[in-house]
Amino acid sequence: MQIIRYLVIKEFRQIFRDHMMARIIILIPFVQLLILGYAVNTDLKNVKTAIVDQDHTPQSRQLIKSMYASDLFLPAKSDVTPDNLEDRLGSDQVDLILWIPRGYAEAQSRHQSAQVGVFLDGRNSSIAGRAGGYTLGILRQENQRLLENSTLNASAFSLPIGRITATTRFFYNPDLTSRDYMIPGIVALIVTIITAFLTGMAVVKEKEVGTLEQLMVTPITPLQLIAGKTIPFLILGMIELTFATLFAVLYFKLPFTGSILLLFLGALLYIMVTLSVGVFASAVSRTQQQAMFTVWFFLVYGILTSGFFYPLENMPAFVQYLTYINPLRYFLPILRGLFLKGVGFFDIWDEYAALLTLGILFFSAAVIRFKKTVE
Amino acid sequence: MKRTLAIARKEVFHILRDPRSLMVSVLMPLMMLLLFGYAIDMELRDLPIAILDQDRTPLSREFISHMTSSEFFIKNADLASRDQIEAGFRRSEYRAAIIIPKGFDEKVTRGEESPVQVLVDGADATTAQTVDNYISQVVILLNNRLVENREFQATLLDPRIRFFFNPQLRSADFVVPGLVAVIMMMICALLTSIAVAREKETGTLEQILTTPVLARNVMIGKVMPYMLISAFDAALVLIVGYFVFKVPMAGSWLVLAGYSTMYLLIALSFGLLISSVSKTQQVAMMMALLATLLPTLLLSGFIFSVDSMPLWLQVVCHANPAFYYLKILRGIMLSGHAWYPLEGGIMLGMAIFLMTLAVARFRDRLE
Amino acid sequence: MSKPESNNHIAVKAEKLTRRFGDFTAVNSIDLQVQKGEIFGFLGANGAGKTTAIRMLCGLLRPSEGEAWIEGLPVSKSAEKIKRRIGYMSQKFSLYNDLKVWENLEFYGGIYGLSKSEIESASDIMLARLQLAEYRNTMTVELPLGFKQRLALGCAIPHNPGIILLDEPTSGVDPIARRKFWDLIYELAESGTTIFVTTHYMDEAEYCSRVSIMVHGKIVALDTPRELKKQQKVTTMQDVFLKLVES
Repeated sequence: MQIIRYLVIKEFRQIFRDHMMARIIILIPFVQLLILGYAVNTDLKNVKTAIVDQDHTPQSRQLIKSMYASDLFLPAKSDVTPDNLEDRLGSDQVDLILWIPRGYAEAQSRHQSAQVGVFLDGRNSSIAGRAGGYTLGILRQENQRLLENSTLNASAFSLPIGRITATTRFFYNPDLTSRDYMIPGIVALIVTIITAFLTGMAVVKEKEVGTLEQLMVTPITPLQLIAGKTIPFLILGMIELTFATLFAVLYFKLPFTGSILLLFLGALLYIMVTLSVGVFASAVSRTQQQAMFTVWFFLVYGILTSGFFYPLENMPAFVQYLTYINPLRYFLPILRGLFLKGVGFFDIWDEYAALLTLGILFFSAAVIRFKKTVE
Repeated sequence: MKRTLAIARKEVFHILRDPRSLMVSVLMPLMMLLLFGYAIDMELRDLPIAILDQDRTPLSREFISHMTSSEFFIKNADLASRDQIEAGFRRSEYRAAIIIPKGFDEKVTRGEESPVQVLVDGADATTAQTVDNYISQVVILLNNRLVENREFQATLLDPRIRFFFNPQLRSADFVVPGLVAVIMMMICALLTSIAVAREKETGTLEQILTTPVLARNVMIGKVMPYMLISAFDAALVLIVGYFVFKVPMAGSWLVLAGYSTMYLLIALSFGLLISSVSKTQQVAMMMALLATLLPTLLLSGFIFSVDSMPLWLQVVCHANPAFYYLKILRGIMLSGHAWYPLEGGIMLGMAIFLMTLAVARFRDRLE
Repeated sequence: MSKPESNNHIAVKAEKLTRRFGDFTAVNSIDLQVQKGEIFGFLGANGAGKTTAIRMLCGLLRPSEGEAWIEGLPVSKSAEKIKRRIGYMSQKFSLYNDLKVWENLEFYGGIYGLSKSEIESASDIMLARLQLAEYRNTMTVELPLGFKQRLALGCAIPHNPGIILLDEPTSGVDPIARRKFWDLIYELAESGTTIFVTTHYMDEAEYCSRVSIMVHGKIVALDTPRELKKQQKVTTMQDVFLKLVES
């Protein structure tokens, strides 16, 4: 136990002796969260929009007004005509063009359907897809409004018409702020980077410098060495987690609806996996560069298959199988659940169980591989 | 030139001695491309929903079958009571619950408004929004059918939507250019910064500088091999994107290569700048990672819309070379635009500025 | 051999100790015995297999064949016990460059299981002995090589081992620093510590009680310096070495 303590003290001294490193570690959670918290925002705003109104009627102006009702679409300065649509979209002057052809109002007055063109720059298909969806939503509402007006006009018909109305209630995030969903993910990323990368490199550094050999002639056991090397980063990871959570709650006004205890328990289990990845990476690497690359590989795989950007349900079956050994896949729902959904242990116990299993598996693999290297 | 080449050759030996790092730097882009290309489908699909049908009439069943007839929703649970709903949300068993109250059919037949309640797990706001849109679309469809039965014109407004340059909104067309930008920046900056820091740590840099080579030779020599690796990676991603994911190439490969070289120079200078301020590989790596991976992924317009960000962050994005490069890349590949005087000029300026700064800092540190 | 042989007096022993790396035999079946309290010089040219041999004696490397004993304990079976009885200083001066001098001492004291107060008193004594007292708070990276080497020795022996194995401890340092280092070694030997030291400086060989000379993985001679010089009919160890290596 005492041996581990000295290893930990030494590690902390080394980390904080390098001012640059100390600064990076302290600043990471704040800068990352601040910048990414604002960037990672799937709420669409300010889509540059041009309208080609060839109808010039009160009806067409009504439609334009509905388009610009929110800050979703922003009028763009551009001379779009039906002939230069593609060019204006291609040269990034506008993202979306709404074309109201001549005869729009007239068709409606005759109870015929009036065509409206919506043209988008599909090169950024994520934005285009959503902007298109929103536009169609607005047009649907407009359609509904027109329909209702015409039903009123047609009240001469004998029977009133029954109608289904849907009222939607959003749980947990009534304003649908996408940031609230993404920030717990960034918290997880910060913890991963600190724990996995730094552990991986710290062990290999001793190999590179030769101090590992010196340690091997002392009575330290491999397990003590692993403990001494990982505990500092476990502590740092936990501190970063606490800072990041506080920052998310105090600055970004995220709710924190779960139990703090569950947060730390989940983080502990998750960090156990990431630390094991670090130790494993260092065991199979000769240089810090190799260790970094190995951890990097894990990180990229972890982010892409965790449901961080897009829902997991969307992925094809074979990719879904790949996600099962990804610890982030389990830690992310825990974080999101604790932040937003007020989950209790029994709601997410299977995530905990999965993390524990992965932790034991990864840790054993890391210890076995590490022992092989030092012996 | 000879000296520069000698240093470059030494660096190549370093790289070849370490086949694993080389493998990773080649395989990583491929893995990212394949995972991104196959795993990310912007079209939502198979979202689980729960149904609480208290009416149990032909109309309520029709309503439900409308909901689940497309691939969008799959029914995951038939609920017996309202009290179960929130527990299911907490366990993330379904994304939405639809409650059809008793008397649903009857009210419609009597010509009244017949309310249906939709509860959506709003934690994932983007998905929740889409779910809500989809449900209201189904409701409108069903209403229109009810109206149609009475011989009314249901659609007074008939939107025709068209996406230029990527008509099917294929995610590969969107992912490949973005990945090229991310990968080139990361590989280049990471490898360069760590390569210089390693020599600092082991003291060999001092050794080299006692020989009559100039700082300039050292730097160019050191970065050349990494430039080649990054260029190779970028080409690999483009070629796999072109042949496997069938991403179009509307413009000219040559123009693309020209802009890419500029971008590579920026990434390399950035890597050098990092290495000139960091003493150890650990610091270099952390800085390179933090300054490249997330910004090129998130602050470039790759995944998240820059126009939607707050103004101060838009300014930050405009200082990100990936922002311009990505715009150019998408233009050349998808729409065939090649003329980007503003973006190209800014990138050139960045390259020159960073390179000058890196050389100056590097010399300061060493001499 | 002239000295009486009894197991209690043997600090280090090797029998048919062999290590191969692929086709290359780095250490080829060497036998040796080191008496307690001896300064045993382990000589050889660069690449003769000295470092491989010493790493096997410490338990850092498994022999391909043969066995080594430290104070009668077989290295292959009691590696953990042995670690408490030996101090090992490698060629590379394995210090933490980003720690201060006293922090290095404290750390190694700590991992050898010394208590806090023991570490404090031992460090002070050690710093004085190593003549590093005034550099207590200096960052290790800033120390001259000769000082680093003394500190590395200090870090290898906080637990007062009975046997110290030194792998080329003086390579690269100036003659004055070497002299100072050997004074330390004498001091340790006088207090009964066995010293096992590899070197390729032949003047250092003169200071040893006995030396072995290794060529291409084999021990070609083992005796006191005086005896070796007599056998080869030369006046310096330098000549002994050259004669043996060239033959």
